[in-house]
Amino acid sequence: MNLLMRLKNAVRQRSIHVCFVDTGSCNGCDIEILACLAPRYDLEQYGIYVHNNPREADVLLVVGGVTFQWQEKLKMIWDKIPEPKVAIAIGNCAISGCVFNRRGSLIDPPASHIIPIAAEVPGCPPRPDEIIRAVLSLVPVVFKNWEEKRP
Amino acid sequence: MKKRVDVSIPLGPMHPILKEPCRLKCETKGERVISVEMELGYMKKGIEQIMKGRPWQEVMFLAERVCGICSVIHNMVFIEAMEQLSELQIPARAAYLRVIVNELDRIQSHLIANFSYCYTIEHETLAMYLLNIRETVMDLLEHITGARVTCSYMIPGGVRFDISADDHKIIHTGIDTIEEEVTRYAGMFNTGSLIRLRSVGVGILTPENALLAHAVGPSARASTIAYDPRTEHPTYQDLGFTLVTRSGCDNHSRIMLRFDEIFQSIGLIRRALATLPEGLIRGGGKFTKGTVIYKGEAPRGELTYQITADEYGRIVDIAIQTPSIMNEEACVHYMMTDVTSIADVTSTFISCDPCIACTER
Repeated sequence: MNLLMRLKNAVRQRSIHVCFVDTGSCNGCDIEILACLAPRYDLEQYGIYVHNNPREADVLLVVGGVTFQWQEKLKMIWDKIPEPKVAIAIGNCAISGCVFNRRGSLIDPPASHIIPIAAEVPGCPPRPDEIIRAVLSLVPVVFKNWEEKRP
Repeated sequence: MKKRVDVSIPLGPMHPILKEPCRLKCETKGERVISVEMELGYMKKGIEQIMKGRPWQEVMFLAERVCGICSVIHNMVFIEAMEQLSELQIPARAAYLRVIVNELDRIQSHLIANFSYCYTIEHETLAMYLLNIRETVMDLLEHITGARVTCSYMIPGGVRFDISADDHKIIHTGIDTIEEEVTRYAGMFNTGSLIRLRSVGVGILTPENALLAHAVGPSARASTIAYDPRTEHPTYQDLGFTLVTRSGCDNHSRIMLRFDEIFQSIGLIRRALATLPEGLIRGGGKFTKGTVIYKGEAPRGELTYQITADEYGRIVDIAIQTPSIMNEEACVHYMMTDVTSIADVTSTFISCDPCIACTER
């Protein structure tokens, strides 16, 4: 690995685009992700930029127990994200379905049946600092030697 | 919809301005948007179906998770409906504490609605100010109830935790900060010339159309319709609640009405803290069977629960009517009939504070 590659890896770790998809949550986890944007938590000081465009994203935050309408669409969104990419399940719903995983409900959790999930943040909803910590702890692993591995 | 247009532009279900999945089909003629159609159905979880046949101990937590932004009012309306059904009396102190927590929740919901609007018209500075002051409100909520979003503070017969004399001071300091800051931001929003260009006269909902579409909450009150279920609530009557209306009928007056309601909520919290009665925070009783229809004022409008319970306190049948669906239909059918551009479609849609999670449940 030459110097340029090492420099590229280091720089990529500090510029991450995050995209979040709501697959049938109660909005509680959504507003906790929004609260990460607030100047108190200030996601952008770590080089993380949140916008909802999967074609530019590196990290996909999946929120909510997957409803039937999202089963195909979540896979399509995952395919649109360019490599390298990771998905993080935020909240109990994406992990197990939480209170909605009962008889008669219209959801099919977990999200890991549809796309590969790299990390899970439990909580109903998780606190904003836990979400930031999950993103920050995962990103160095993904971009560590990406320049060598890239096709 | 009959095809009479140049291009049909879909927005969503995944779009940078939409925090939740829903689809807006914009029928355009050149730059102008002739009509907009909304497509829902991405978030249906069937929560009423899950609630049926379960004891109230489970349903009170499920009721909170109908909507995460306004979770406190769903908790409050469900518990008060069950209390009215069984004719339970709650202690006066508990009723006042319920109002304090409910109004704090209303403040944070209105702040996030105004944040979304400012973010959509690309005024990111004001949006970040509003999101930052919201964290102060969340701190107060967390201090009183122990959780940020899903508090489950209200329980049958009263509330979970009492507040001490120290907490009085913390709440007073908090709402003083909120009032001072929000006054500044409301002034910025009201006088900012570029904000006025984007908001005044955009998305007109006339009072006749608001009545036709059954618009509720801030969307209706910004169109001069004086209706608020809080005026019929006994605790709010004690505190001297009067509703606020505006006559602008456009996006600007909808957002300014939310600022007005934040100040009104701060006044209600101050009065409730000043006249907080001494005594217990939880009474006792037993649920009985029967059917009840109970309504309360959510941050987005009138929220109605129809509950049928059996003698063990199990929910046999439940129907929830949330305010968002009426406001969204009013927005799509009447506010966005002839809009100047796509950018105004998104800002008008956000100005009616859509909450897809509680629309579809």
